[in-house]
Amino acid sequence: MKKSILLLMFMLFLGYGEDAFERNCVSCHSRLPATLQEIFKRYLLVYSGEKNVKAGIKHYLLYPSKDISVMSDLFISTYGIKRPVSLEEKELDEAIDIYWERFKVFGKLK
Amino acid sequence: MLKSERKSLLRFLALYTAMVLLLIVVISAFYYETQKKLMLSNQRATMAKYAYIQTKRLKVLHHFFDEQRTYPRDPRFKSAIYDIEYKKIFSLLDDPNVRFDKEIYLTGNHIHLVKTLDEFYLGTRYLIIETEDDGVWREEIWSHILGYGILTFFLFMIFGLFLARMFVRPMKDSIMLLDRFIKDTTHELNTPLSAILANIEMMDTDVMVEKNRKKLNRINIAAKTVSTLYKDLTFLTLEQEKEDRIEHIDLKALILDRAEYFSVLAESKRLSCELDLKEAYIDADRRKITRLVDNLISNAIKYNKRDGTVGIKLHPGYLEIWDTGIGIAKEKIPFMFDRYMRFNESEGGFGVGLSIVKMIIDEYSIKIDVISTKEEGTRMILRWKDEE
Repeated sequence: MKKSILLLMFMLFLGYGEDAFERNCVSCHSRLPATLQEIFKRYLLVYSGEKNVKAGIKHYLLYPSKDISVMSDLFISTYGIKRPVSLEEKELDEAIDIYWERFKVFGKLK
Repeated sequence: MLKSERKSLLRFLALYTAMVLLLIVVISAFYYETQKKLMLSNQRATMAKYAYIQTKRLKVLHHFFDEQRTYPRDPRFKSAIYDIEYKKIFSLLDDPNVRFDKEIYLTGNHIHLVKTLDEFYLGTRYLIIETEDDGVWREEIWSHILGYGILTFFLFMIFGLFLARMFVRPMKDSIMLLDRFIKDTTHELNTPLSAILANIEMMDTDVMVEKNRKKLNRINIAAKTVSTLYKDLTFLTLEQEKEDRIEHIDLKALILDRAEYFSVLAESKRLSCELDLKEAYIDADRRKITRLVDNLISNAIKYNKRDGTVGIKLHPGYLEIWDTGIGIAKEKIPFMFDRYMRFNESEGGFGVGLSIVKMIIDEYSIKIDVISTKEEGTRMILRWKDEE
């Protein structure tokens, strides 16, 4: 009993150590062949600016559809369309902000 | 050339020159803008080619961004990339002033071409290509503007002079005709008037009976009134055009002389005269100062009441001529120096006297104060800079 409580606490500690992006995105996407970096570049190609990109990602996550996906038809037909996210808006915004910060082009070119 | 004619000609030429200069400036600005646009359109083809090359490089960089982070550079041009929100992603530009409302423009010594991308490689919506502007076109334009501008200006000025003379000639002819007529007429008037005045002066009134002496006195007053009017008219029409002969005038002597001249007029109204004359001088044309004093004294007599007083007070830099006459309403004082303005139709004259006074005091920077009370009298005070 004591051991199981300690294990639960350890797992909770591990979970809270990760940010919203790690918790909600990375685990699933690591199983897909297209990296998060690749997907980000596709968003950039279509939406350009920060506000546009973030709005595009958020809309797709809330209302996923083949018509508005930035991925290729082949990718969609192979892996299908994801389910809508059930995250709270604050959590979702936080995850998207972290995603932008991690992969944005600003300050990386030399 | 008469003073007024020269003045009109100079005014016309000044206006004409200003208009010609304005025209040249406007045409030059238009020419400059056209040439600038021409130069930019010449540059556009080359810069569009650079933009195409850079877009291809951005596409490659976009696809290999994971491994490659070096922004593509080219010795022929500088470039920058901006996102859809006009935020700078990366820039190599020398001139950071980027405008998104124009496709191609000049900024300082650089030319910027703004290309809008259809696919936003690395998030790029706007690709800016910058090349250096050598300024040769500008030097060429300035030399054209200066060369042709000066030539046009001179041609216009020659034309202007010709035009001015053409327009002024009929006016000049009319003025000369009128002048000659007035000169002849006034000359014809002067001779009999002088003869009348001289003969009156020479007459021995002591041997005359009282009745005749009174008649002669009236003739004398009438002749002197006509003479003053005649002098005012000749001053306005002829003498005003003459060059000034500035001299150091002894005002006390002049005023005594003029007071003596007008004494007959004053006596006819039974006016008493109060003189307070000290030594005072002014550097001016004697004819003009005489007209000034004559008009002020003559007005003080003309608009006085019977048995009234005329006073003259002369101090260095100060002359006051006052009367105990009909006075002028306060609201009419600002208009009393207007030509043909008369406040009392019962007296003779054209109403030119005070306008002559105004012309003369303005010419010699003499200040005038008019203090008048209706039915009590008027004080005309002149002040000037006394250099004694």
